[in-house]
Amino acid sequence: MKRSDFPFLGFGVGLRRDHYVHIIENHPRIDWFEILSENFMVAGGRPLEVLEAVCARYPVVMHGVSMSIGSTDPMRRDYLRELKALAQRCEPAWISDHLCWTGVGGRNLHDLLPLPYTNEVVAHVAARIREVQDFLERPLLIENVSSYMAFRDSTMTEWQFLAEIAERADCGILLDINNIFVSAFNHRFDARTYIDAIPRERVIQFHLAGHSDHGAYLLDTHDHPVRDEVWDLYAHAVRRFGPTSALVEWDDNIPEFDVLMATAGKARAIHEKITGETPRDAIRSELD
Amino acid sequence: MPSDLNWTERLLYRLITAPSGVAEGLAQEKSFAPNALAHVIAGDDRLSAEERVDIYANMYFYRILDVLKEDFPATLAMLGDARFHNLVTGYLIEYPPEHFSIAYAGRRLADFIESHPMREEFPFLADLARMERALIDIFHAADATPLDAEAMRAIAPAEWPALKLMRHPATEILALQWNVATVLGAIDRDEKPSPPARKQLSMLLWRSRNRVSYREIDGAERDELEAIAAGCTFAEICEMIASAAGEENPAAAINQRLEAWLRDGILVRG
Repeated sequence: MKRSDFPFLGFGVGLRRDHYVHIIENHPRIDWFEILSENFMVAGGRPLEVLEAVCARYPVVMHGVSMSIGSTDPMRRDYLRELKALAQRCEPAWISDHLCWTGVGGRNLHDLLPLPYTNEVVAHVAARIREVQDFLERPLLIENVSSYMAFRDSTMTEWQFLAEIAERADCGILLDINNIFVSAFNHRFDARTYIDAIPRERVIQFHLAGHSDHGAYLLDTHDHPVRDEVWDLYAHAVRRFGPTSALVEWDDNIPEFDVLMATAGKARAIHEKITGETPRDAIRSELD
Repeated sequence: MPSDLNWTERLLYRLITAPSGVAEGLAQEKSFAPNALAHVIAGDDRLSAEERVDIYANMYFYRILDVLKEDFPATLAMLGDARFHNLVTGYLIEYPPEHFSIAYAGRRLADFIESHPMREEFPFLADLARMERALIDIFHAADATPLDAEAMRAIAPAEWPALKLMRHPATEILALQWNVATVLGAIDRDEKPSPPARKQLSMLLWRSRNRVSYREIDGAERDELEAIAAGCTFAEICEMIASAAGEENPAAAINQRLEAWLRDGILVRG
């Protein structure tokens, strides 16, 4: 896997139901969309019609929440088959999911739970990522999650764990800047140290989102604007990784599409200021 | 598979899904000494190990509760927040999510209500939940090209008698004991719903241009649509319609029935 194997998509937003009509009718000038894979793993009806319309006009990336790559259950073949079929339908620029487990014993918690950071778990997860990549016949990006608990058994830091798995599995990294910020507060580590330790060649995408402050901990809620401290961390990441496709996630208290556009625009402005480059909006200008 | 990881994941699963919270879940762990969780999860001055797992336990319950509130607005309106909350607590014990998509979390809610004591006060509740779930299932059901009047006219009349029709995959017939459509209508109009009347009926649900609609059908139409699903020919279906119409103009009855089915996209070519 090489960074140059992946296109630079620019600055996009997550495709959410609240905005379907606006996007299909008005074709807003946004570089790209990220879809939640599971929302479109259905037999038919409106979601697939919307997806077809969006894919016809914009680059799309598939982002999943249910792969459960860190579970000790066998990989779910039914899930992978449907994921592969969806990928064949929308030909995403890439597919991503989270470095976590979401269930065990055939049951699903519908949450992104952290793993103990040990060599044994590194080997387990890396082998499963390779299995998924072989099955999908596409590279996978794994994303760091926000976490609220850490394991006594851990023998390495989260950033060592993430980097080691990506190297061993030969996969990409979706670096969620807000998740780093949230987990840094919750576990008292330095967010910049995390970013500086991630191998540059593996990072293909950034996530930006808002979180909520519960006093004793921060919660990754995706229901607020991106906080200034997270923008600062994003700037640090742009300095380290250079041009990297960035995406704004907003899943609750979803604002008007223009607010998401403006947030993606801010990510672009920070990127341009730091790199001194105006990323050529090649895809959009071709479409226009 | 790392055995330590499997042990840890199973422990956390049990604690997160414990119906009365992590503390009660810990008390149920017979082979687990008090404070043993602190040897698995690191606590600190801000949050203990138990409080940290509790964050996940809350998110598990409330994330699914929110999805079910969105999927079952009429059931929620009839029960109110507190009773709905209790219903979901019990439901998740009996039917914990197994599907990879959270959209399926409420798939068995009507089955659970069938044997729930709440049914004594709300005897129509299982029918209501079944109807709300069916609306979602049909919204996401498979696509197929519906047979419309123009497509029917394009088929040579000589082929009609042996023609095999099928019901569109995005259709369903529910056998209901209560007229729960009145509750759904009130919710759609943003009105406070009243309990529905007891009435044994068949409800046809279908999807047309991405909108899910429903209407009550009589026993004859239900039997005809079931016969179509079972693979009867067009001639056999026409005989059924004519027979139900009796002496009164069977041709008109066939035309009327077919017109409605073709208009609503109920049929596909078999």
